[in-house]
Amino acid sequence: MFLTRSEYDRGVNTFSPEGRLFQVEYAIEAIKLGSTAIGICTSEGVVLAVEKRITSPLMEPTTIEKIVEVDKHIGCAVSGLMADSRTMLDRARVECQNHWFVYNERMAVESVAQAVSNLAIQFGDSDDDGGAMSRPFGVAILFAGCDEKGPQLFHMDPSGTFVQFEAKAIGSGSEGAQQSLQEMYHKSMTLKEALTTALTILKQVMEEKLSSTNVEVMTMTPEKMFHMFSREEVEEILGTLAPISKEDSLAGGVSTAREGVSA
Amino acid sequence: MTAVVPDIAKPGFSFENCRRNAFLAQKGYAVPKATKTGTTIVGIIYKDGVILGADTRATEDTIVSDKNCSKIHYLSDNIYCCGAGTAADTEMTTQMISSQLQLHRLNTGRVVPVITANRLLKHMLFRYQGYIGAALVLGGVDSTGPHLYCIYPHGSSDKLPFTTMGSGSLAAMAVFETRWKPDMDEEEGKKLVRDAIAAGIFNDLGSGSNVDVCVIRKNNVDYIRPFDVANVKGQKQGSYVFDKGTTAVLSTRSIPVDIEDISITPIEPESMDTSS
Amino acid sequence: MSSVVDPFNKFSYMESGSQRQHFSPYADNGGSVVAIAGEDYAIIAADTRLSSGFSIYTREQSKLFQLSEKTILGCSGCWCDTLTLTRVLDARMQMYYHEHQKLMETPAVAQMLSTMLYYKRFFPYYVSNILAGLDGEGKGCVYSYDPIGHCEKSYFRAGGSAGALLQPLLDNQIGFHNMEKVTVAPVPVEKALAILKDGFISAAERDIYTGDSILIKIITKDGIKDESFQLRKD
Repeated sequence: MFLTRSEYDRGVNTFSPEGRLFQVEYAIEAIKLGSTAIGICTSEGVVLAVEKRITSPLMEPTTIEKIVEVDKHIGCAVSGLMADSRTMLDRARVECQNHWFVYNERMAVESVAQAVSNLAIQFGDSDDDGGAMSRPFGVAILFAGCDEKGPQLFHMDPSGTFVQFEAKAIGSGSEGAQQSLQEMYHKSMTLKEALTTALTILKQVMEEKLSSTNVEVMTMTPEKMFHMFSREEVEEILGTLAPISKEDSLAGGVSTAREGVSA
Repeated sequence: MTAVVPDIAKPGFSFENCRRNAFLAQKGYAVPKATKTGTTIVGIIYKDGVILGADTRATEDTIVSDKNCSKIHYLSDNIYCCGAGTAADTEMTTQMISSQLQLHRLNTGRVVPVITANRLLKHMLFRYQGYIGAALVLGGVDSTGPHLYCIYPHGSSDKLPFTTMGSGSLAAMAVFETRWKPDMDEEEGKKLVRDAIAAGIFNDLGSGSNVDVCVIRKNNVDYIRPFDVANVKGQKQGSYVFDKGTTAVLSTRSIPVDIEDISITPIEPESMDTSS
Repeated sequence: MSSVVDPFNKFSYMESGSQRQHFSPYADNGGSVVAIAGEDYAIIAADTRLSSGFSIYTREQSKLFQLSEKTILGCSGCWCDTLTLTRVLDARMQMYYHEHQKLMETPAVAQMLSTMLYYKRFFPYYVSNILAGLDGEGKGCVYSYDPIGHCEKSYFRAGGSAGALLQPLLDNQIGFHNMEKVTVAPVPVEKALAILKDGFISAAERDIYTGDSILIKIITKDGIKDESFQLRKD
């Protein structure tokens, strides 16, 4: 890709002669610098697990929020530029509340993804809807939700494209994690299995040692809806994970590039 | 002296509360509404006399207050008068004029002419500058033949061969304009009056229920009420009879009757007095 | 022309001969609506008389609007506002369908109508609305509104020009209010229909804006059934 770099990568309004929008592609690249997030959808509910990068021992780990509640029935995991993600999640929350206000019902997960997508593709020139947004958002989002269609998982990238998944990984370790998910996922997975699978894979792809402080876990079930795991609950699951050998570890490879804005 | 002789009320209207009521109205106190008879009243002259007609609905704003009220008023044996407008005004005005006509008949000793009734009514209404809200159709037969007048609340009047009044007057007049002709016979005349009133009943929301008709001839009067039931009331399906004890008793109080003495008087059938 | 005594020059803006023009943007075209909901049905009925003042515009105007297979709206009041409101409502439901790829449930329509009415809080649609239909579980439900968006869910409701005449009958006969020693039981559809018709017969006796005929729509899981019934025409 970098071989064809030219003046076409300056603006988001111009296609390259090969029909590419470089800024969007760069934004998708930016996600690969972000922390790894994994989502698994089962018939019982959806699991989201995210790595938190503690870049300094002086950092307060609880202030890093990568899994957030959008509404009672929708939770999101993000990877990429955290500042950008705030804007997008705020839109998701507003859309959910507006839907409740106008229709007195829960907004469908797909509809939320669509609404956030509408915001994501507003980069480019200013129009009637608002001012100019000079670049695409550097964020990928996993939407985990329960609506009348049951538990669902959606993935959205910086281009605004959103697709439903049974299991999806985003962030720096996504390539290896997605491979593992493909091997381990099966349709009749229970929520408990999904939890251990997500954390096992996360453990494999993470550079740091997996602990209750550097991981966030959430489940979305029709019964309990959005449920963020407490430190104790995370530790309980970590205790059940099988110890993995050094060779199995997929971490390493992308290392120095991680330091920077994306965390 | 004043204590012995009771005050005799002065004749005419009392205006003593006018100032107070105007003040209350200005302060936002709602003025009570009078019953208005949004009405269809008509009259025609036919071969042998006059036929008057009226509907029987009385309304208070959008609610029907009387489903079968009488709008053809008696003035004298040979004169009747239909009233539209404020119910109390039409009622009282016709009664007052009726008594004056009666006095007039006693004084003169002859059948009162219809033109006299017209003159008395319009004088009365003109004096009150339209504040007596009575719109009238006056009809009768006297020594000079049949006469029909239409009198407006401000005191003007017209002498006509056929006329209509009230909120349904346009609907009724449309019927007269197409079908009235001089020297109609009685059956034809009654049919025409019925149809004119029915036009008001069906097309004017202020008019409704039945058709009343009054036929005034040279020597007699036929007051037919109702002449026609234009609308049949719907047949209810459910029963709305409540079992005994359905109404809640909130409190009871009994007052015992003290019985002081009991006496029984047998009543025997009296035999008829056949002595004379 | 300066006959107005104005020592303090309070009315200096008053030009001689100036007149205030009064314009009322609203009309009252009358009409009554009744809705009754049961376990597995909802009935909504409205009279078909459209009038203004003492005149009848038409004797056969339906005031019921089918919004979906499970939802019907009954409107009375200012007819032009009814027409606009129902058109906007249809458009909003269509937009919902395309945005969310599903049909709107009755409770969602009910809430949306409330927000639409309140949106025009200071220049309201002069319409008395009653919404009837089946909810997500297939149970009958009735929602009633004031012109500025207050919404109330119930099982029976009367509205419009004869609303005040009809509601007490429903309270007693459907709601079993103000009665001792009665067994409160769900009202079967046949009984609801009879009470509804009897109510309209009586309302037509006393309310000049209710009459001519009624149109009844019975909503069940099998679809919507139409029925009509004649009233007095005076």
